[in-house]
Amino acid sequence: MVLILRGKMNDIKEILNKSKVFGSLDEGSTAILEGLFDKWETHPGDTLTNADDTAHTFFLLGKGTALLAMDEGKSVVLDAPGDFIGMELLSAKGVYKTTLSILEEGHVFTASRQDFLDIIQEDSEMAATIMSAWHEYLDVKAPFARNNEDTGLLQQF
Amino acid sequence: MYGLEAINANNGWAICVVGISIVFSGLVSLSLVISQLHKVLALYENPSKIKAFFKTKKTQKQVEDGQDTFVDLVLTQSQKEVSKQFALLVRTMEDHFSLPRLLHLAKISGLKDPYSNLNNLLKIGIVIPDGEGFFTLNNDRFAQFIE
Repeated sequence: MVLILRGKMNDIKEILNKSKVFGSLDEGSTAILEGLFDKWETHPGDTLTNADDTAHTFFLLGKGTALLAMDEGKSVVLDAPGDFIGMELLSAKGVYKTTLSILEEGHVFTASRQDFLDIIQEDSEMAATIMSAWHEYLDVKAPFARNNEDTGLLQQF
Repeated sequence: MYGLEAINANNGWAICVVGISIVFSGLVSLSLVISQLHKVLALYENPSKIKAFFKTKKTQKQVEDGQDTFVDLVLTQSQKEVSKQFALLVRTMEDHFSLPRLLHLAKISGLKDPYSNLNNLLKIGIVIPDGEGFFTLNNDRFAQFIE
């Protein structure tokens, strides 16, 4: 069962600053992102996404360990606070292509997929910084995930 | 002085051997270059292979470096038993196995707390990623913490 804790979250700022994807953003950009996220408590065995379901949420790991099961038996384990689970790692063309399960108790921060895509599709320095950091993060965390799709179009996430 | 006598008198045999050696070495070098030329041409036609090569090296290094971040958890006897059952399941799979598949097998086999116990194996470094989306069993860590 996933418990949703809504409201002002003090620790989202800390996690965003720790994140390899969002850590290099300036304070103003971080403040914009803070407003996107809600906190979910997670427990071992929770399934946050199922492959083939409609994609509506992206995730930022706050604490704990998550297993992202991809096609062809591949998977990636995410256990660092600030690990971002979204875009081509999670979905394609509005549909989840991976199943996200929780292995260790903790919490994740969730953001609306559409709200997040609206931000990174803007012609802004913030969007460019996020996308650049995202590609570097993906190369380290799950380089095999980048081969699955042409990452040229944001709409495909 | 003519013929063999003249050759002997002017170090002709030595000069001949040196000449043959130089020509032979040159031909061997040339054949080696030509035999490897297809690899250079493949890289010229597809430069992304160079990038992929360095990426693979980087990923392997990160996986190796990651081994230092493993945690030395103290497992209960019950957790050790479940870990042994996990290891038995792994041995029915390929060397580089699918982690979701292992979790599925653990669930249908009725292993206790499969998610938490799999997490313990990952934290300790008994189950480690291979950098290509699959995982392997670290027998040294298994022997150290479970057996």
